[in-house]
Amino acid sequence: MARLHRQPICVASALLVPLLQLVAPSWLALDGVGPSWAMLWLLPWALVDGPVSGGIAGAALGLVLDGLSLGDVSQVPALVLMGWWWGRIGRRGAPIQRSLSLGLLAWIGTLVLGLSLWVQLLVLASSAPMLQAWALHTTLAQALITGLLAPMVGSWQLLLWRRRAPA
Amino acid sequence: MGLSQRPQGSRLRSFQRLWPWVILLAVLGLVRLSKGAGFADAFALLSRPFWPGSAQREWVQSAVRQNDVSRLELLEQDNARLRGLLELDQLSAGDRVQAAVISRTPSGWWQQLELGKGSFAGIAKDDAVIGPGGLIGRVQSVTPSTSRVRLLTAPGSRIGVWLPRTRQHGLLAGLGTARPQLQFLDKDVQVQPGDLVSTSPASTLLPPNLPVAVVQTVNLRGVPAPTALVQLIAPPDAIDWVQVQVQVR
Repeated sequence: MARLHRQPICVASALLVPLLQLVAPSWLALDGVGPSWAMLWLLPWALVDGPVSGGIAGAALGLVLDGLSLGDVSQVPALVLMGWWWGRIGRRGAPIQRSLSLGLLAWIGTLVLGLSLWVQLLVLASSAPMLQAWALHTTLAQALITGLLAPMVGSWQLLLWRRRAPA
Repeated sequence: MGLSQRPQGSRLRSFQRLWPWVILLAVLGLVRLSKGAGFADAFALLSRPFWPGSAQREWVQSAVRQNDVSRLELLEQDNARLRGLLELDQLSAGDRVQAAVISRTPSGWWQQLELGKGSFAGIAKDDAVIGPGGLIGRVQSVTPSTSRVRLLTAPGSRIGVWLPRTRQHGLLAGLGTARPQLQFLDKDVQVQPGDLVSTSPASTLLPPNLPVAVVQTVNLRGVPAPTALVQLIAPPDAIDWVQVQVQVR
């Protein structure tokens, strides 16, 4: 079968990310902070489809999500970086499928995303101590909830997409 | 000598016959002096089971509410007329549009609401968004059928506010947390926890005299000026419907 980015149904599944971002189910949040749906979708995509596809998918998702959110900070740099890095990991060595590995990768990815947003806030908004405390709290809470959800959501996506695009 | 020789025992007996009447007279005098207090209290005690029920109390309360609403409308009309004379209402007068909250992220990196009405309903950028109790944010972007609201708690949100008690201006800055920070413009502040924070009476960007928050804690050692943490009156994470103050353009 063709690679993932040539299968319209697989590409269309990315539409779920902005949709879930808007729905923002409150019952799926840690102290009010929801998971990073972009990271949850991008991780299996990049692992299956490679670094270039992962980077481009990260940029595309980031642009859409930046359009849906207020403020000047952007998710694009972190999503491109993680898409590329996860793509490289997927292409080298044994296929990643263990729950712990998926959870750890999603946790690191969301941590990187949170740190990138934090740095942008420091430069663009303010360096008030309370803002820093809130940014740390949000980064850790989002990384934790994303890392916990990744094994459940990611392993199912990996199974589906590896069947459609075998290495 | 007949009267003067009246025996002592007979006088005592006549006094004994009279003294209850004297006491009664004294008691009645006390009743008169106290304006019948004892009777009124006794009547209240006895008639308590027959007092008007809660239904009548609600009627009275409803009438009081109606009276307050009427007075508020009259005062608002008067206020609008006076603001018109002062030429302050050019941007603040207008209708309020009811809009449903169709998506909300009160926590997290982006603290915003998505409303189910947009430019077709007359909503435009910078319109004030009001929840039950007070201001919660401002419209940042509009599509024909939706509006995106930046909450007052969001990092980067800044609005000018007014403390009615001390008659001082301040800047309300969102920090991401549930309690925004009130930054004062001068060093000498008399603000206390519990003080109301509202929009400025002379505001032309926001509706004037709109309640916003209540001061929770004050940091008088803030640099360059004191700061305070405030609690928003309208909690954005529990609101399904909001009002958007549409400006007349």
